[in-house]
Amino acid sequence: MKKKIAVDKLPSLWASLAEEGPLYLPIQEGPVVNFQPWQDQAQVAMEAVNSVVSPKDIFLPREETYLHYQCKGQELELQEVNYKEKITAFGIHPCDLRAIEMLDRVFMDQDPPDKLYCSRREMTTVVAMSCTNPDPYCFCEVFDVDPLDAPGADVMVHFSDGYLYLEARTEKGRALLDKGKELLEDGSTETQEKQFEQTNFGIDVHDLPENLKNRFNDPAWDQIYKSCIGCGVCTYVCPTCYCFDVEDYGHEAKGERFRCWDSCMFGEFTQMAGGHNPRPGRKERVRQRFMHKLQYYPEAYGEIACVGCGRCLRSCPVNLDIVQVIKALGGEKVEQR
Amino acid sequence: MSNVNSLLPQAVTIMDITSETPDINTLRVVGSDGLPFDFLPGQCAMLSVPPVGEAIFSITSSPTCRECLEFSIKNVGKVSNYLHSLEPGQKIGIRGPYGNGFPVEAMKGKDLLFIGGGIGLAPLRSLIGYCFDNRIEYGKIDIVYGARSPADLIRKSEVGETWAEQPNTDVHLTVDAEFPDWKGHVGFVPSYVTELAFKPDNKIAVTCGPPIMIKFVLKALEELNFTPEQIITTLEMRMKCGVGKCGRCNLGPVYVCKDGPVFTLAELNQLPGEY
Repeated sequence: MKKKIAVDKLPSLWASLAEEGPLYLPIQEGPVVNFQPWQDQAQVAMEAVNSVVSPKDIFLPREETYLHYQCKGQELELQEVNYKEKITAFGIHPCDLRAIEMLDRVFMDQDPPDKLYCSRREMTTVVAMSCTNPDPYCFCEVFDVDPLDAPGADVMVHFSDGYLYLEARTEKGRALLDKGKELLEDGSTETQEKQFEQTNFGIDVHDLPENLKNRFNDPAWDQIYKSCIGCGVCTYVCPTCYCFDVEDYGHEAKGERFRCWDSCMFGEFTQMAGGHNPRPGRKERVRQRFMHKLQYYPEAYGEIACVGCGRCLRSCPVNLDIVQVIKALGGEKVEQR
Repeated sequence: MSNVNSLLPQAVTIMDITSETPDINTLRVVGSDGLPFDFLPGQCAMLSVPPVGEAIFSITSSPTCRECLEFSIKNVGKVSNYLHSLEPGQKIGIRGPYGNGFPVEAMKGKDLLFIGGGIGLAPLRSLIGYCFDNRIEYGKIDIVYGARSPADLIRKSEVGETWAEQPNTDVHLTVDAEFPDWKGHVGFVPSYVTELAFKPDNKIAVTCGPPIMIKFVLKALEELNFTPEQIITTLEMRMKCGVGKCGRCNLGPVYVCKDGPVFTLAELNQLPGEY
């Protein structure tokens, strides 16, 4: 089922979809584009390459209360908070959807499933949008992501000649097109062709997880970490970083327990109550982050936890990005002769 | 779809609190309907005390004890400090159990050597209690337990009397330095292990204590010709989720909260030494 909608009618489609629950779209605020719940008059930036922060917070919010507590004398009452609203995630790029599927392995497939994540994921219809204008930092094809197609999408969309073309791929996707049917026309004749070349930064990662197996103590780590200032922005913007913290907010009589994003770049992350810290310095923390992406995650789930979205390249204040690290660890592409 | 939030605690009541040493208390907790969950020796639980938060502790009681769960807790951080301030009757939150536990099946038919230091006896006590309650399944039992001073030995009467009186069991207590009224052995745990010259034949050694003690105990055992497969230890790490997702307790691809905390030395030798 392939449909199309004229670009100038899109705000009507947004309004219709937002009736059911939060509709996340790439929204421009000043110089910054991020996925946010759509509101009337919001400046939607469908043409933006990648949001500054990945859309992972649709499923793993920056902070999320899951428990209310009340204490009376020695009594303790615990009240669970559940998530129940429908979500539409519109305009997710193939790289970001691949990253969400990597989070699915951890939060849905690995026992026990994470109820908070599963609720949001299952309540969400994902409308993925093919990439037509990657920027110089995009290198998703290195990780075998197809910038034109996201296999896990409920609806796949792309722009062409003043129209947005929509193809439903799942029941959820068909329900979404049905919801907007008054606004949609037949679009079955349209096909999309790739019209750009992407950089690979001269790296090849296919043998990397295997090659890194015994390189925990490699002298390369003594150099790699040195420019890191431990700001943690890489983990914040990264679509495959998912570390979280759990904290209480409130006082002795009542309050709430929430979880929020955390970062393996921070010293306190592994600091134990008695003072011991198994990852005491920046070297250990930088090594943890990259070994997790390039070796530990692949060993558990069979693929590298990077999708080449380019966010860490754009955001790192000292240019200690994953491309530099892959090169330092022997991932430089060897040209075929 | 999961219907259970694995991060959600249930309320349990502190039945009583025993002071073990100047900075270690044992808390007995029970749910409204008995034990809040079944568990294996060596598994852990997340205790929570709003508004301070949660921390992970090893369960000190044996699963064969059906009246309550016991936690011997040293006052070192925010949560443990708050737990030390509570009175019996107080309700707290609990979730678990977490981790793999000790390999009680694979240990059957073996002689057992337990080596503990200070608060490191907490997880071992669950296993030792389990072995005594299934005494016929296990061979000779040796228990080496030490602390800085006699006042820092936890459960002194249980270890020195109840356990020492069990059939085919020897208990070897030691403290780090001479103290008035202490007539037992004086010296660090690792050197006492060397001195006692345990034979590795058909034996499994299980050790827990401060990281520095574990390090030297492992060395002492290897010098006594124990193989890495015969040596078991249990690790502690900062944890938030307990289910292998929050990202902080891993050794390489292995998460201490769900794949550990119990490891053989052979397993640890294959992993990054970030503990």
